[in-house]
Amino acid sequence: MGSEIRNLWLQWLAQLEQVASGFLQPLSATHPLVILPLNIMGFWLALKIYRRTGTPILHPVVGGSLLVFAGLLLLGVDFTGYQQGSGLLYLLLGPAVVALAIPLKQNLVMVRRAGWPLMLGLLVGAVLAPLVAVVIALLLGGSHTVLVALATKSVTTPVALALTEQMNGIHSLAAGVVAFTGIVGAVFGPSLMRLLGIHDERVTGFTLGINAHAIGTVRALEISALCGAFSALAMGLCGALTALLLPVLTSA
Amino acid sequence: MPPESKSWPGKALQWLLGAGLLLAFDFAGRALAASLSLSVPGPVLGMLLLLLALMLYGRVPYGLGMVAEQILRLLVLIFLPATVGIYFLRDLSGGDWFALIAAMVIGTLISLTLTALLLKHLIQRRARRRGDHGQ
Repeated sequence: MGSEIRNLWLQWLAQLEQVASGFLQPLSATHPLVILPLNIMGFWLALKIYRRTGTPILHPVVGGSLLVFAGLLLLGVDFTGYQQGSGLLYLLLGPAVVALAIPLKQNLVMVRRAGWPLMLGLLVGAVLAPLVAVVIALLLGGSHTVLVALATKSVTTPVALALTEQMNGIHSLAAGVVAFTGIVGAVFGPSLMRLLGIHDERVTGFTLGINAHAIGTVRALEISALCGAFSALAMGLCGALTALLLPVLTSA
Repeated sequence: MPPESKSWPGKALQWLLGAGLLLAFDFAGRALAASLSLSVPGPVLGMLLLLLALMLYGRVPYGLGMVAEQILRLLVLIFLPATVGIYFLRDLSGGDWFALIAAMVIGTLISLTLTALLLKHLIQRRARRRGDHGQ
């Protein structure tokens, strides 16, 4: 056990060193001082556009990635170079997953108040959401790569990326699937709820959180604070539950 | 520990403490996953460990709350490099794309419907039971 921790520590230091050495390279199009501002500008502009228009289709995940992609084409940078330049952001992925514990802790009171119906719904929903998608893709003859990417479709991106690493999937495909799923859920979810005759905002929020993670939660917050809180709670719990269940299910 | 420091050195110290806690729990989660050879991602274990610690502690330390709020607000930026990669994907066939998009659109609509109906049913049943007890 001691040697494993030592290995982890060395791995972490090596990663840090790689990021630091990236900054010491001579200035080029793939230098972190070019790529990082490009990322920040893309994110910031996309956020502005999203706030101005307010449509889930232009969520910063979509707008930001398109803007950065356009920037990369202009600079003539390939994906490997871009990834090396973005090393600093990759380092933050782990701590970002850990940070999800804080909103979860703050909303935990509501779990106790809502009780077991929500927990049972969460368990079923967390299994159902990826299962339905994987079955459809399987029937349509999707390859193994596609099935692995769909398995994490309904969990929040940092957790999905951590799981993808575990299952040797393609990072960017998983991230794209998560974003697209969130947009489908956020765009059609609320009207679908109305169509089904569901007026309980707790149900709407919880359903959006299970199926459409952060993008659904943003949409739920527009409905009401209560709806948003239930969505945030469902998103966090669903992420944790999927992370615990999925590796067991896929290895079996 | 004081709940909130007014002076900036105190605030900076609390911020650093919060950031250190996030890194420490990330590392602890990874170490636990590696030493027990669990297939659960290390950072997720770290999140659960932190949640457990916060439940035992009773509240969220000020600095930790501050750092967490900042990092969660920048979440989209942090995973931008992973998202951009989708435009560079070349190894998927047309049939794969079709299966993927159909599964995402139809699958999400189906699972939204099923989850919502199930939740509605469960909540109504509990409410009815409680009502029966009251009468």
